[in-house]
Amino acid sequence: MTANSIPEASDPRRLLSDLRALSRRVRLDQRMTWAALLVLAVATFVAIPFDWFGMWVRCHPDGSCEFARRGMLYYWMPALLVAYATIAMWYLRAARSRGLSARVLPYAITGAVTSAVFPAAWLAVHLYFESHPYPDSPLPYWYLVLDRLVMPWGTIGVTLLVLAWLERNVALLAFTVGYLALVLLVLPMNFGFGPPHFAIRVGMAVPQLIVGVVLLAGALLFRAAQRRQR
Amino acid sequence: MRVVTDAPDPDAAHPVNGLDEVVHQRVRLGILTITHEARRVEFGYLRTQLELTAGNLSKHLSVLEEAGLIEVEKGYEGRRGRTWITLTAAGGTALAAEIGRLKQLIARVETTEPREDR
Repeated sequence: MTANSIPEASDPRRLLSDLRALSRRVRLDQRMTWAALLVLAVATFVAIPFDWFGMWVRCHPDGSCEFARRGMLYYWMPALLVAYATIAMWYLRAARSRGLSARVLPYAITGAVTSAVFPAAWLAVHLYFESHPYPDSPLPYWYLVLDRLVMPWGTIGVTLLVLAWLERNVALLAFTVGYLALVLLVLPMNFGFGPPHFAIRVGMAVPQLIVGVVLLAGALLFRAAQRRQR
Repeated sequence: MRVVTDAPDPDAAHPVNGLDEVVHQRVRLGILTITHEARRVEFGYLRTQLELTAGNLSKHLSVLEEAGLIEVEKGYEGRRGRTWITLTAAGGTALAAEIGRLKQLIARVETTEPREDR
């Protein structure tokens, strides 16, 4: 861009294209997608021992078992609040060091709200079924998906959609859609992998391990892509 | 009932007439665009992105500040002086209007340009 060039008749198109390129450059410089994914991956890995040791399990002679994931209940709400605060701080510091402000606050606020509202909804449903019998017929599929959506891993996906929108980040949108498909439709996040291949605790830990690995792989990929773009 | 279409109205004033002299300049448009996207931007970042000297950038910032389109805030970070630029509401409006006029201009040029195949 030169200082004194006044657009000629044929210039508006080029001028608009230059302005779009500048906007894109700023957005790229504001992004710290990899940091958000890394923090969420760490939160997911740290959750595994909490879930493992905090789980209450009682197995009956007929082979059936009852369990309650108490560790998860106590861990995730503060963990997500700390994670979103860390992500916001990381974004703001990085952007400031580059001479910019960051667009992360709506993401952190959405994260904080969902990390309180979603577990409350999950808890309300589970408390309801403690005093009401489960329906005799198998639970409808939409119920299982909804249950997974309000679990921490679903919450993480929903708030990542907000980040993708804030950053106008198509790659993150694609990653998040894939991630949500994994945690809502593929992995048994709510009941774990069952017997005969897995004991209860292992069956619960494996899906979390997979989610953590996916988030970590996403962080590494976005980090590599960001380095290439700069 | 009025029908709104994308085609420019030939009777309407030419978009060039509405161009704002303060905003309609490549560097100043660049400053407004970056500041709009970044919300708040440091002097050094603008200088790097627009490939300007400090003096040249300062002149353009003065023009925009006098027109009330940006706010300039000087401060320190540690012992290092820092200048931060923020877009005002008037600046945001002016930028949106200018981009709208540029789009109108492109649309008008496209519809009035003689086609070679005719």
